[in-house]
Amino acid sequence: MENHCGTRAVSIMLKLAANKLALCSFSARLELNNTTKTMQKYEKLEKIGEGTYGTVFKAKNRESHEIVALKRVRLDDDDEGVPSSALREICLLKELKHKNIVRLYDVLHSDKKLTLVFEHCDQDLKKYFDSLNGDIDLDVVKSFMFQLLRGLAFCHSHNVLHRDLKPQNLLINKNGELKLADFGLARAFGIPVKCYSAEVVTLWYRPPDVLFGAKLYTTSIDMWSAGCIFAELANAGRPLFPGSDVDDQLRRIFKLLGTPTEDTWSGMTQLPDYKPFPLYQLSMSFTQVVPKLGSRGRDLLQRLLVCNPMQRLSADDAMAHRYFSDLNPAIKNDRC
Amino acid sequence: MAGNFWQSSHHQQWLLDKQDLIRERQHDLSILTEDEYQKIFIFFASVIQTLGEQLKLRQQVIATATVYFKRFYARNSLKCIDPLLLAPTCIFLASKVEEFGVISNSRLLTTCQQVIKNKFSYAYTQEFPYRTNHILECEFYLLENLDCCLIVYQPYRPLLQLVQDLGNEDQLFTLAWRIVNDSLRTDVCLLYPPYQIAIGCIQFACVILQKDHKVWFAELNVDIEKIQEICRYIINLYELWKQYDEKKEIQGLLAKMPKPKPAPQR
Repeated sequence: MENHCGTRAVSIMLKLAANKLALCSFSARLELNNTTKTMQKYEKLEKIGEGTYGTVFKAKNRESHEIVALKRVRLDDDDEGVPSSALREICLLKELKHKNIVRLYDVLHSDKKLTLVFEHCDQDLKKYFDSLNGDIDLDVVKSFMFQLLRGLAFCHSHNVLHRDLKPQNLLINKNGELKLADFGLARAFGIPVKCYSAEVVTLWYRPPDVLFGAKLYTTSIDMWSAGCIFAELANAGRPLFPGSDVDDQLRRIFKLLGTPTEDTWSGMTQLPDYKPFPLYQLSMSFTQVVPKLGSRGRDLLQRLLVCNPMQRLSADDAMAHRYFSDLNPAIKNDRC
Repeated sequence: MAGNFWQSSHHQQWLLDKQDLIRERQHDLSILTEDEYQKIFIFFASVIQTLGEQLKLRQQVIATATVYFKRFYARNSLKCIDPLLLAPTCIFLASKVEEFGVISNSRLLTTCQQVIKNKFSYAYTQEFPYRTNHILECEFYLLENLDCCLIVYQPYRPLLQLVQDLGNEDQLFTLAWRIVNDSLRTDVCLLYPPYQIAIGCIQFACVILQKDHKVWFAELNVDIEKIQEICRYIINLYELWKQYDEKKEIQGLLAKMPKPKPAPQR
């Protein structure tokens, strides 16, 4: 097989021959496959955006004509090799196969580049909001919220935290399906729980415990973000807590929910970055916050937006909430 | 990724069949005997273990690196990549996946050079020949050959739970843990799910310590046949070890091992 190698393989062989290393035959043999796979299988169409660690392109599979998303991973740091954020995404998505989680079809590599091939979705939730002009169908809110929770429940049952939920990371396709994407910051959690870095979630969707520097967190981090996204859905894309910095973020949260105390949240004052805030009282009712959402929806929202992470609803419990009792059965029963 | 072994890529893609292993190894076994083949893998498991210890990695990371190494050669001949290059590459990848944090390449290479010189000079007379670019390139091939299945379940966690259930015997736990480490020098991690390996190692430890836990084993709902097979692999390993002097034989084995073809000269 070494005799049939393509031009790239030959250049590698020469490079390595120069190093006087007997590495080339594997390079040649394997490189040949990859070159064919990368260069010919997909036709690049257009740039979609920038992900955590690289550019995303829309592309077409030349054989099946299927549209896919190609995420090019930059390998500019010569010391790290394949970036750990990309590795995390690869290895987690390899384990997480679910209707509400974006599918990783393939991983291709050629000369210093790694390309992740994902299922393509038409848009993300952020772009969907932009197209709404401030008006959203409440059945869509319910359907999207349910699918978000179902994707999360699946991640959490596999001991994976997403950690970076935001509208840009939720993909929507033409059939009204919602899929969790961008697992670059996700991580598998296990026992024993270790300290995770505090700088992970986009500010607007960060729970107060993380804002206070909590280093030990669990699935509750994603549930807070889900609550923020729920309110944003119900308000057709108006973010609930668009804070400008950590202090502003916490102030906005406490103004709505009331400032927590050691009585309502034991251990809060011990958190690494804790600082006292004025004792805001519950000033606004949730009817004003999400005027279009009914009483059941408001109840669910209030159970997700709880400052004390221990008291936040889990994804499974949220799915069982009576807000979803009249959900279209086609969506509810649509298992993976 | 605890608790979902049954839906994992480990369970669905990487529990191999004994017959498959034999078929995939046909080429290498036309050059090496089965014993010689295993001795080479014992040697490189020690290389990975020693590198990992020098880098102060947790045993979980070392075990994952060893499984990557074994999975790669379960599908490829030894001549595809020099195992001396693949071993540190497995460590490099496993430390990122297991979230140990990235080991800098220069630290990895320095450690390789030291370890080969100070601990394995009986096998290699020359210094460690590879550089950063080789490791980074090799990482690609490893990733692809693993089919990007990077999460590996290890017997350590089930071992801990099982021993707790048995009443937390320290001596038993320590011995069984060591046997699990030794089992990485056999094919069991390619053939059996980790909880069965854990049970096999506990049973083995019980025999050595002359502890009678027959009732407990009987109540475990497991396929005893499989457990016996695992034990047999481990017995064979210890038998092989008894009559084998690595320091004397390994140079000859490494010389005999199938190797990448030298680059064509132009």
